[in-house]
Amino acid sequence: MSELYLRLLDRLLTPILFLLAAWLFLRGHNAPGGGFIAGLAAAAAIQLQILAVGDNVVRQRLGRILQPMTGIGLLCALSAALIGIAQDGFFKSVWVFIPLGEFTLELGTPQLFDLGVMLIVFSVVVSFLLALSRPRKGTLE
Amino acid sequence: MSPLFLSLLGLGATSLLLWLLRPHRFRRIGWLAALPPALIAAWIIGQLPHLAQGGEINAVIAWSPRLGLELALRLDGLSAFFGLIITIIGAGVALYTGYYFTDEPRQGFFYSLLFLFMASMLGLVWADNLIALFIFWEGTSVTSYLLIAFKYTDKAAQDGGRRALLITAGGGLAMLVGMVILGTQAGTYSISQLVATPGLAELPYATAALILILAGAFTKSAQFPFHFWLPGAMAAPTPASAYLHSATMVKAGVYLLARLHPGLDDHPLWFWALLLFGGATMFVGALHAIGQYDLKGLLAYATVSQLGVFVMLLAFADEVAYTAAIVGILAHALYKGPLFLVAGIVDHATGTRDLRRLANLRRELPLVTVAAILAALSMAGTPPFFGYVAKELLIEEFIHAADVGQTLVGWGGLIVAALAAALGVGAAYILLWEAFLRSRADDDHPAHVHHAPPLSLVLPPLLLTLLGTAIPFFFPTIETLLFDAPISAVAGAETHVHLALWHGVNLVFLTSLAAIALGFGIALARRPLRRLLAAWPAWLHGTKLWDRFIYNVYDLAAWTTRTIQGGTLAQQATITLGAAVVVVIAALGMVNWPADFPVDWGHLPTLPEVILVALAVLAALITVRTQSRLGAIISIGVVGVAVTLFFVFYSAPDLALTQLLVDVLTLVLLVLVFYRMPPSKLPPIPTGWKVRNLLISSLMGLVGFTLVMFSAGTPFAPSIADYFLLNSVPLGHGANIVNVILVDFRGFDTLGEITVLGIAAVAGYSVFRAGLFRSRPPVSIPGDPEDRADKE
Repeated sequence: MSELYLRLLDRLLTPILFLLAAWLFLRGHNAPGGGFIAGLAAAAAIQLQILAVGDNVVRQRLGRILQPMTGIGLLCALSAALIGIAQDGFFKSVWVFIPLGEFTLELGTPQLFDLGVMLIVFSVVVSFLLALSRPRKGTLE
Repeated sequence: MSPLFLSLLGLGATSLLLWLLRPHRFRRIGWLAALPPALIAAWIIGQLPHLAQGGEINAVIAWSPRLGLELALRLDGLSAFFGLIITIIGAGVALYTGYYFTDEPRQGFFYSLLFLFMASMLGLVWADNLIALFIFWEGTSVTSYLLIAFKYTDKAAQDGGRRALLITAGGGLAMLVGMVILGTQAGTYSISQLVATPGLAELPYATAALILILAGAFTKSAQFPFHFWLPGAMAAPTPASAYLHSATMVKAGVYLLARLHPGLDDHPLWFWALLLFGGATMFVGALHAIGQYDLKGLLAYATVSQLGVFVMLLAFADEVAYTAAIVGILAHALYKGPLFLVAGIVDHATGTRDLRRLANLRRELPLVTVAAILAALSMAGTPPFFGYVAKELLIEEFIHAADVGQTLVGWGGLIVAALAAALGVGAAYILLWEAFLRSRADDDHPAHVHHAPPLSLVLPPLLLTLLGTAIPFFFPTIETLLFDAPISAVAGAETHVHLALWHGVNLVFLTSLAAIALGFGIALARRPLRRLLAAWPAWLHGTKLWDRFIYNVYDLAAWTTRTIQGGTLAQQATITLGAAVVVVIAALGMVNWPADFPVDWGHLPTLPEVILVALAVLAALITVRTQSRLGAIISIGVVGVAVTLFFVFYSAPDLALTQLLVDVLTLVLLVLVFYRMPPSKLPPIPTGWKVRNLLISSLMGLVGFTLVMFSAGTPFAPSIADYFLLNSVPLGHGANIVNVILVDFRGFDTLGEITVLGIAAVAGYSVFRAGLFRSRPPVSIPGDPEDRADKE
C-alpha cells in the first residue's frame, strides 16, 4: 500500500480530474480544450490512481476495456468521416441543430470525431502507463 | 439506385447474411445462395439487346471529386460479357458449394468469402475508374488469399495462399503506380475517356506506365514466370478453384488488357511483351499439365496455358484475334469450370485426386462422366464443341498474321500454338482416360467411390457443360447479342462477327486435325513423357526460386533492422539524428543564400523571452550534467515548462495545455522506466562518446534553429490562416480554431495520426505483454558505457 497522502489525493483529485477532462472535452470546440487534451487529462487521473492504489488494482478495473476502447475510438472517428458521404462527401461535417428554448444545441460529426480522438488518446496512454508500471520480474509476480 | 450498385450491394449483403445464417444447418441452402447471382445474370441478359446496339449503362457515386476519385460503374459490351461469366458460373458454384460442404461449420465463412469475391470481381469488370478498379482488384486478391488458405492448418494451403497473395498483390501495387502515371499524364482516371484519348501511348512516361500495368496483369493472370502461384492455389477448396482460379479471377489480367487494348495497343512494347509472355505461358503451362498426377494440378496448368493464349491473342490488332480471345474466354469458362467441379466431386466421392489411383469412374459416377466427357472434348478442341471453335480461331489468327506480312510471327506462332494445343488435347485425353474410362488403375491400391454424390452436386457442372455444348449450335441467333459488343469494345470500333462450326477443308481445319492426332499420340506416350518431365531439376521450379527470393528479402529486413535499430538507444539515436542532420543540410544546401533567407533581424527579444530561454538552457545543461536520474528527469521537466510558458506568451492556450499535460505524463513515464533500471548511479561516459554526443546535439540544434528561421522568413503561398479564421465559426461551428482544424478542416490528417497511435499502442502493449521487455538479458555491446560500468 502506498502513502496515505497519495490515497487521500486520489480520493479527492481523481473525480476532479475526470470532471476536468469532461469539461475540457465539452468546451473544446469553442474554447481551449478538445479530445486530445481531455484524453490526456483523464489519463493523468489514471496515473494518480496507479500511484495510489497500485497498478494491479487499476489493471483489474481497466485492463480489459483498453484495447476495445482503442478500436471503438477509431470506429467513432471513421464513422464521423463516413457519415459525411451520405451528405456531401467523405469527411464533410454534418450538423444537427436542436433548439432548447433560448439556446440551440449544435451537434455535429466533428464532435463524434473528437470523442474518438479522446478515447484513443486515453486508452493508448493508459495502456503504456500500465505496461510500464508492471513490477519487475522477481519482485512481486 | 442504379441496378449496378444494387447488384454489388446485394452480393455484399448476401455475403454477410450467409455468414450470420450458419448455413451448414440447412440442406438446401445452395439453391438460395445461387439466387442472387442468377438474378443479376438475368438482368444482364435483359440488357444485352440494348448493349449490342452500342448502348451502355453508367452509374456514378462521387467519392472525392477533387482528387478525381469516383466510384464510376459502366456496363458496356465487354463488362456485361465478363459479368455474365461471373454471375452464371457464380450461381453454379454457389449451388455446388451448398452440397460440397456437408456438416462443415465453416461453410458459412466460405460462402461469405465467395460472395465478397463475387462482388469484388463484378466491381472490377464494371469499374470505369482506374482507382476504383484497383480497389476491387485488391479485393479479389485478398479474398482469393483467404480462400486458398481456407484450410488454414494445412501447410500447403498456408504456403500457396501466401505466395499467391504476395505475387498478385505485389503486381497490383506495381499496377497502381502505372495507373497513377497514366491517369496523371492523360488528365483523367476514367477508363472510357482514357482509352479514347488519342495518342495515349505516346504520352510521356507511357512506357513506364505500360510496364507497370503489365506487371499487374501478368501476375494476376499467372503469366510465365509468375505462373507457379496458380497450381499452388489448388490447395483451396475445389469450388474456389473452379470459380476463382479458373473461370474468373485469373482472367482479371486478361480483362484489363482487353479493356486497355484500344488505347495502348499501338505502343511498340505492347505487341512483343504480350506475344512473348503469352506464348511462353501457353507452352510452359501445356507442357507441365502432362506431367501432373493430381487432377486439379493438371487442370491448373492447362488453365495457365489458356491464359497465355488469351494474353498472346490480345497482342494482335485485328478482328480475328479479338474474336478468338473473347470466344476462347467464354468457351474456357464453360469447360474448365465444370471440369474443376467434376474434380471436386471425384475427390469428394473417392477421397483422392491422384490419377494413378483412379480408374473406371464411369461405372459408379455415370452422370459425372457425361459432364466430364463433354467438357474434356471441348477442352481438346474436338468438333463440334465450343472449344473447337476457339481453337480454330486461334490457328486462323496466326495464318492471318502470316498472310498480312508478319511471316515469322505467323508461322512460328502457328507451330508453337499447334504444339501447345496438342499438349492440351493430350492432357484432356489423359484426364478422361485415366480417371473415367480405363478399367484398371496404375496403383496397387485403387480408389473406390465411398459415397455417391447427390444429384444437386452433379447438376452445376452438367448444366454448365450442356450450356457450353449448346452455344455453337445457336451461333446465328446469339452471335450478335453475345459477341459483337465485347469484341467492338476490344477493337475500339464497331465490329460484326460471323461464327460458324464448319468452314470447309482448309489449312485451319487440317492444323486442327493434326493437333488432335498429335494430342492422341501424346496421351498414348504419357508414361515416358511424365518421366521426362519429372527429370526437370528441382531447384529450377518457380516456386523454389520465388521462396529463395522471399527468404532473402526477410534476411535483408532482419539485417536492416539489426543495423539501424539494433544496439543501445544511444546508437539508434545517433543514426536517426545523424540521418536527419545530413538530409536537412543537404536540403538547405540547395537554397539560394542569402537571397532566399529574408530574416528580420530588427526585432529584439523581450525580457520575458530572454528569461524563459535562459531557464530552458540552464535546465537542459543540468539534465546533461547531473549525476542522478531523478535530477535529470526533473530538470527535463523544467525545459518542458519553459516551452509551455512560451506558448502562453504567444497566446496559444491549446498548445500550452497539451504541452503541459504531455510533460507531466512523460515525467511520470520516465520515472516508471527508470524505476525498472538497476538502481545505480549513472555510469561515467567516456570522453570520446561525450565529444560525439556534443557534436550531434549541437548540429541537431543548429539545424533546428536554421529551419525555424528559414520557415518563419520564407513567404510561401498566401497564408491559409485567414481562411481558417474566417470560416471556423460559419463552417466549423466552433470558435476554437485549433480544435476545428484538428477535427474538421484537417480531420483526415488527424484520422491518420490517431490510427498510427492506435497501431503503436497495440504493438507496444503486446511487446510488453509478451515479456520481451522484461525477460531478455541486457544486450552487451563492446565499447558500450553500460557494459563498461558493469565491469568496473
